[in-house]
Amino acid sequence: MARAAPKPQANMGPPVPRYDGRAKVTGDARYPSDVPVASPAFAFLVTSAIAKGRIVRMDLAAAQAVPGVLDILTAEDTRELKHVKFAAGGAGASTSIQGLGPDIDHDGQIVAVVLADSFEAAREAAHKVDITYAAEEPAATFDATNAREESPEEVGERAKKLPKAGDAAAALASAEVTIDAQYATPAQHHNAIELFTTTALWSGDELTIYEPSQFVFGLKNNLAERLGIDAEQIRVVSPYVGGAFGSKAQMTPRTALIALAARRLGRPVKLVSTRDQAFTISTYRAETRHRIRMGARRDGRITAFIHEGWELTSRPDPYSVAGVEDSARMYGFGAVETRVTLVHADRNTPGFMRSPPVVPYIYALESAMDELALELGMDPVELRRANNSMRDATGKEWSSRSLMECYDEAAAAFGWKERTARPGSMRDGDWLIGWGCATAAYPTHLGPSAVRVRLTPAGEVRVQVAAHDIGTGLYTVLAQLAADELGVPLDMVRVELGDTALPPGIVAGGSVSTAATGSALVKACAAIRERLTAAPAQTTGGPSGNKLEDVFERLGIGAIEEYAEFIPEGGKPDAIASLYKGKPALGGGSHGEKLMYALGAEFVEVRVHALTREIRVPRIVGAFAAGRIMNTRTARSQLMGGMIWGISSALHEATEIDRRHARYINDNLADYLMPVNADIRDVEVILVPEEDSEVNPIGAKGLGELGNVGTAAAITNAVHHATGVRIRELPVRLEKLLG
Amino acid sequence: MTSDVQLATRPADVSARDRVDAAKNLVVSFVLNGKPLSVAVAPTELLADTLREGLGLTGTKVACGTGDCGTCTAILDGEAVRSCLMLTAMVAGKTVETIEGLAGESDIHPIQQAFIDTGAVQCGYCTPGMILAAKALLDENPKPSADDIKEAISGNLCRCTGYTKIIEAIDKVANAVA
Ligand code: FES
Ligand code: FES
Repeated sequence: MARAAPKPQANMGPPVPRYDGRAKVTGDARYPSDVPVASPAFAFLVTSAIAKGRIVRMDLAAAQAVPGVLDILTAEDTRELKHVKFAAGGAGASTSIQGLGPDIDHDGQIVAVVLADSFEAAREAAHKVDITYAAEEPAATFDATNAREESPEEVGERAKKLPKAGDAAAALASAEVTIDAQYATPAQHHNAIELFTTTALWSGDELTIYEPSQFVFGLKNNLAERLGIDAEQIRVVSPYVGGAFGSKAQMTPRTALIALAARRLGRPVKLVSTRDQAFTISTYRAETRHRIRMGARRDGRITAFIHEGWELTSRPDPYSVAGVEDSARMYGFGAVETRVTLVHADRNTPGFMRSPPVVPYIYALESAMDELALELGMDPVELRRANNSMRDATGKEWSSRSLMECYDEAAAAFGWKERTARPGSMRDGDWLIGWGCATAAYPTHLGPSAVRVRLTPAGEVRVQVAAHDIGTGLYTVLAQLAADELGVPLDMVRVELGDTALPPGIVAGGSVSTAATGSALVKACAAIRERLTAAPAQTTGGPSGNKLEDVFERLGIGAIEEYAEFIPEGGKPDAIASLYKGKPALGGGSHGEKLMYALGAEFVEVRVHALTREIRVPRIVGAFAAGRIMNTRTARSQLMGGMIWGISSALHEATEIDRRHARYINDNLADYLMPVNADIRDVEVILVPEEDSEVNPIGAKGLGELGNVGTAAAITNAVHHATGVRIRELPVRLEKLLG
Repeated sequence: MTSDVQLATRPADVSARDRVDAAKNLVVSFVLNGKPLSVAVAPTELLADTLREGLGLTGTKVACGTGDCGTCTAILDGEAVRSCLMLTAMVAGKTVETIEGLAGESDIHPIQQAFIDTGAVQCGYCTPGMILAAKALLDENPKPSADDIKEAISGNLCRCTGYTKIIEAIDKVANAVA
């Protein structure tokens, strides 16, 4: 079907099928928990039933009596583990809360690990661990009396690094038209379909960890620090990852516990945690709040933009996404002021989840844009056009910006000109129809990478790098790129990823993998080509042809292997050395000389039932520009999957929090609402050609986290158009439209 | 009459280490991917665990263990079932198909090919279950409507693809097979 693989236009690669497709459809792909190990012990985690307080007593007798139980690790048994500093993004631990007690800092904190001969025995024993707690009243979320909001000094300190230009307050006061609106987004969990698993295997002093990871070098180094051993003793293997969305980028507390357990038992240990535990033993997207004030001239030019954000985090860790960094630069605002305040509560530490800063902050911005358009009596597309600018308020220039091209193509495909502006004016029987649009944006990050490439006389190519294909298509685009660069057929290329035995790759985060790894690969291939052309034209009696075999023979070698390192322009010279140590340095986006973003425009139709208020999204059209598109098929997959995420964000997804106990209520796949296939109807992806030679040597902007940005605002804008009701707190659920 | 479930006899003096294996005192016979076999399992053992841990057939995945996601789908006597909710003892005398049994000697099954062609595979973790749900549907109803397809895979969650390409893939097979 033509739709599956859009025809490549200018600056787009061919839609070759997925490199790892066959392994995945046959069940041959071995995800970390599929790797067989000899006679493993099975681990089951015991997690805290309170969110704040202490463990007074732990009675293990009944658990130990379960046949097959081998060992139970509690706080005392894990004292030898070193504390690893918290750092977002893979360079450190996912949380500062690393102990098994006696202090309890959040609900679902790991407090013991049961090890047994079988999974069933471990689980049964885990339920028999009898714990007495001294509980205190926890702060669950915003507005809890004992939550700690940062002081004005702390907020002021952070604001120094956030965008500011001109006198926004004065510009607002003198503006012809103003809006002032507040928005909120809920906590959400990644819920990748693959669970959090760890298998640890010691052989003498050498430790092998099989664990789904978005950053194997980070895991290796952080784990070494935690175990107090040399990183060279650890190998992390993760060739396939069953979805991650940010949840597998950092080292979480479980890994060291399983490694320690395996060392104590002298036997491999395998952990497959449960779905409900996944809500508390890793990270999540934290809830946010926003206030946006905008001032504009009658003609639509925005003269003042003030965006304040509040973000929830754990008691100890200052995790923040601060997406005002992006919202404040999206249009040519006259003056800008931004501020972000953290609120600390008794919760597990949040972390990156697909498009962390832009999902909440661009939702708020794009909702406010729609409110302003309405206030001005302007078409929402035209308001964006009036403020489209190659320069932001601080004077920074864009490397390339195809936002209005995206709007125009998506609007045409959608039929936007048929829209009548008045809310409730487009009705189909009992269904109120609403059309809305919004901008999608994702910063183009830059990062370093190493790679090793080998070419044989038979034309076989092997690409090796400890980068990660978490479902994004990296195997495929690297194979394509190598085939192109070395002029061999695609099926001659083998790609090996996700193993610390290979040269280090960047964290699979920030949609940076293709650009970083691809740039290193291009460099290695160029070096190989150079060595080939250095072959003497002829040797006595040898072949003179141009066939690869002949060239190799004249060179007198059996294979060419090149190791290459790529450091983006402006990157630190020790960037690769840092990568070996598990420290990824991500630049780009709004942080470099120029503003670098992939952009898009999304248009949705919603139908709201006039009586029941049931909400449907029958169609969505998105047009996206992201520099060079490496493979139109995987690109389309990524963007389409992203838009579905966006719909989900808008209509379904929220982790519900019990305010009394600071506990997640819907911690299973039945109650955590994600869309199933029956909810999705017509999704159209348009790839808009764009060239950008400044972002990186291959000219590609990451797009894995683009499609799900802006979707929620497009939907709430459409809901307003259908009903006249403005939903300022996600998700849009039908009860919010009643009454 | 022979029964497909038998209590295995075990020597009385099992070592401590064998105690748990001793619990695997049930021998269950069934047909797996076309081949008859017998396995010794614990009475409480789940089919998903027997497949993955006992038989090494790790194409069957487990992502919830509570029947909510369909990742563990297997085909039992022609019907898609959740292997995480079934005791292995329950398949005695029946026919089980897993993803490993789908590809032929030389080529993969048309449904598998269609998943590759339409880009219906991303992280791939839901893929075996999806394909088996699709196979159970097409075996029963070779010409399903779009709604039939959606219905058949409505119990299978995918967090990556957004389903449209999965539906396209199944539709492609249905419309190609005359
Ligand atoms: S693992 Fe069986 S339904 Fe989820
Ligand atoms: S492809 Fe990742 S869950 Fe379906």
